[in-house]
Amino acid sequence: MLATTLYEDGDHRWIMFARDPQKAEGIIDTNQYMVQSGDQAILLDPGGIELFAPMLSAVLKFVPAEHITHLFASHQDPDIISSLGLWDQALPNAKLYSPWLWESFIRHFGMEKIEFCAIPDEGMTLNIGRIQLQFIPAHYLHSSGNFHVYDPKAKILMSGDVGAAMESTDAPLWVDTMSTHIPKMRKFHQRWMPSNEAKLDWIRRARQLDIQIMAPQHGRLFQPPHVQEFLNWFEDLPVGIAIKG
Amino acid sequence: MATPIFVTAASIAAELHQAMLEAKGLALTAKNARALAVRAGSKTVGFKAITHFIDELASDIIRQSQYINGVSEHLSHNAVALWRASTAAEKFDWIATQHSDNIASLHHAMQSCYQQREALSHTLSRGLRELEQQLEEGDKHIRTANLIATSSKVEAASAGDFRNQLEVIAQNITDTADKIRAHLSQARRLLGQRQKHTP
Repeated sequence: MLATTLYEDGDHRWIMFARDPQKAEGIIDTNQYMVQSGDQAILLDPGGIELFAPMLSAVLKFVPAEHITHLFASHQDPDIISSLGLWDQALPNAKLYSPWLWESFIRHFGMEKIEFCAIPDEGMTLNIGRIQLQFIPAHYLHSSGNFHVYDPKAKILMSGDVGAAMESTDAPLWVDTMSTHIPKMRKFHQRWMPSNEAKLDWIRRARQLDIQIMAPQHGRLFQPPHVQEFLNWFEDLPVGIAIKG
Repeated sequence: MATPIFVTAASIAAELHQAMLEAKGLALTAKNARALAVRAGSKTVGFKAITHFIDELASDIIRQSQYINGVSEHLSHNAVALWRASTAAEKFDWIATQHSDNIASLHHAMQSCYQQREALSHTLSRGLRELEQQLEEGDKHIRTANLIATSSKVEAASAGDFRNQLEVIAQNITDTADKIRAHLSQARRLLGQRQKHTP
């Protein structure tokens, strides 16, 4: 599992875990993130059950297990949080923050020890060490209960499936040119995102944030000016195309 | 590929549920036999006495089937928990070989997981032994059912005009006992395979 430090300022760090060379074929590649501040850390979309062992092994290279105090699941999909039953064994004192809508569904992955903390529809803030993270509503993008995570100090937006691209595991980490990257995103966004209204609401929120890195759950990451270019492109993109067929 | 023990236990529970349904049918047979014996009067005194045993036997089988069913379901849940703990333990074993800097910080969770696996494994073994004993008890009930069926046939033979009807009832007891025996045998066969299974 490749670990990349996206941001570091003292004990405040963003680490990205992705591009696992041992990943079984047929499983979609995912980006997992860890935000650390002091002796607390949160794993953002910790991944599927197949990724648990390499993910935990990689995480322990940065922090001890007792410092992983929080988990975050942007929504209920298996590539996001089906590893929960195993994290439950590894981090019995951790808290899982996830949309309230999905609590009774996510519990199907197995959660006896970890505490479920429901995020209300309007979002909320969470203190990790000395920093404060914001859970930004991203409902219907693509899941009906969905949040992204913004760190105003690091100026990083973890954007879940928004900005995702389907690429091979050896693809570069950063978007270099939008013209070559857009074809890798178009179908995914048009098919997976169901609502133009929800899309515009999210873009309005995103434009109010100072984003230096937009970090999706699949594919490459965006930096300025590609962040703004992405928002403009997404704004004009018709989504929810399946019903038009 | 070996069937996981939680599937085996659930299958045993299903077999015992079927056995219980058959036993309920046996209880109904006992009621019919008693009604017939009352109508037949003095010629079927022996048969009437037997109906009490049939009724009692049916109640015993129902009670025991329900108990074994509960034990099996509990075992199945237990085996699922053991599978989860074992899966986590295997992942921890692999992580331990990766020489992660903070592997010591997982020590407590790993030990707790290994202990849980041990405890669940112990509980599962104990439950399987109990299940084995209960199924042996079930076999005793079947032997009793066969004795009752034989006695019923003997009594039916001397029941005059009611002979045919009582013979049908006696045959019904035999058939039901056979069906229950088949379910118990299948349950024992499933249980017998457990040694090959990994949770």
